[in-house]
Amino acid sequence: MEDRPPTEELVARAKRGDLDAYEEIVRRHQSIAFRTAWLITGSVADAEEAAQDGFLKAHGALARFREGAPLRPWLLTIVANEARNRARSAGRRERLALRVAEERRPGGAVPSPEAALLDSERRDELLTALAGLPDHDRQVIACRYFLDLSEEETAAALGCRRGTVKSRLARALGRLRERVEVADD
Amino acid sequence: MTELERTLSRLGEELDWPPTPDLASSLRARLSAPPARRPGLLPAAGLRSSLALALVALLLLAGTALAALPGVRDAVLELFGLQGAAVERRATLPTPPPERPLDLGTHATLAGARASLGFEPLLPAELGPPDGVYVRRGVPGAELSLTYRSRPGMPRAGTTRVGLLVTEFRGDLAPEYLGKVVGLSATVERPRIDGGRALWIEGAPHFFLYRDPDGNVAESQMRLAQDVLLLERDRLLVRLEGAFGRDRAIALARSLR
Repeated sequence: MEDRPPTEELVARAKRGDLDAYEEIVRRHQSIAFRTAWLITGSVADAEEAAQDGFLKAHGALARFREGAPLRPWLLTIVANEARNRARSAGRRERLALRVAEERRPGGAVPSPEAALLDSERRDELLTALAGLPDHDRQVIACRYFLDLSEEETAAALGCRRGTVKSRLARALGRLRERVEVADD
Repeated sequence: MTELERTLSRLGEELDWPPTPDLASSLRARLSAPPARRPGLLPAAGLRSSLALALVALLLLAGTALAALPGVRDAVLELFGLQGAAVERRATLPTPPPERPLDLGTHATLAGARASLGFEPLLPAELGPPDGVYVRRGVPGAELSLTYRSRPGMPRAGTTRVGLLVTEFRGDLAPEYLGKVVGLSATVERPRIDGGRALWIEGAPHFFLYRDPDGNVAESQMRLAQDVLLLERDRLLVRLEGAFGRDRAIALARSLR
């Protein structure tokens, strides 16, 4: 297995001006940062710009990053701020298009056509219900379950307190449950 | 964790996320710029454009950021994106493909196209009915192409041999379907058209290509293009190609109904 330097070491080196170290930091976090920005903006182009500018801004602020603190929430805070700024300045809201990858749809690898159909229906039902939720609800659910962010990271991504994440998530799940149950009727 | 939460987690693993761009390489290039030329934290589009040109030598060392194009092995110097289209600036352009008739898909009537498309087509209101209507499969929702003969203010373009070529498809369903490769001498601007995002490319012939579902580019799907306006309109990506100027292109875009 490849011997990768720990993040703390990369941060220390990047603070000393080591661009290789910062490039590696970006490489390790670019996927989660880009996806978080995409959830906020709903646009691939805006998400890319937000992530890129966020990482650039984070590099300039590295000296103020407290050693030993978790890096990922700090980076996500900066990138998500950039993404929110873009979403606001776009003047119109992009509609986030969540969909299931084609290769995940029913095929030869599923246990049975019936099970596959149920899974597929369940997925489509959930995606439809999610699409009908307010942005706040959809974003908190997406951060926690789709991106698998911790509460702290979700708070960083959404620009709110950790306690707010808990209460917002509970409300969002409640609304989603209602929609799925209504759809079941 | 409840059943609903477990299902959501499973769903997250199956989502079709847009591919993550190679931010690390492009960031490295931006950070390697001399401090006096380094862009601000929120640089204007024009500044970014000129900065990229100033960084050619450094960026050539940065490695290729996007999927390889046939005949092109150098780095992407600059990347502009819309939903459904990506424009790359490179120091070296691919070898020009042999000239061939425009392949826009299957000829159709406007009514027939409307029935088969996954979207409501937009037409430039001031031009009247199109002279040619074509539908191409292979992209979710299909792709519509409309051709208009040359007329005053819309001369015949050398690349398409028509006055105006309009192409439309669901950019939200095919985020990187359409690609362009421009060289150092082409101008790329980011105008806003009625609040929507757009890209205007002019000044030098550039390459126009389609990516297949795996993101690869077939040589047969590349051709040289003239001045082009790309714009997002709700879920659609619309492309206007012709030998007219920026203002005329934007006026045509504004008349799309």
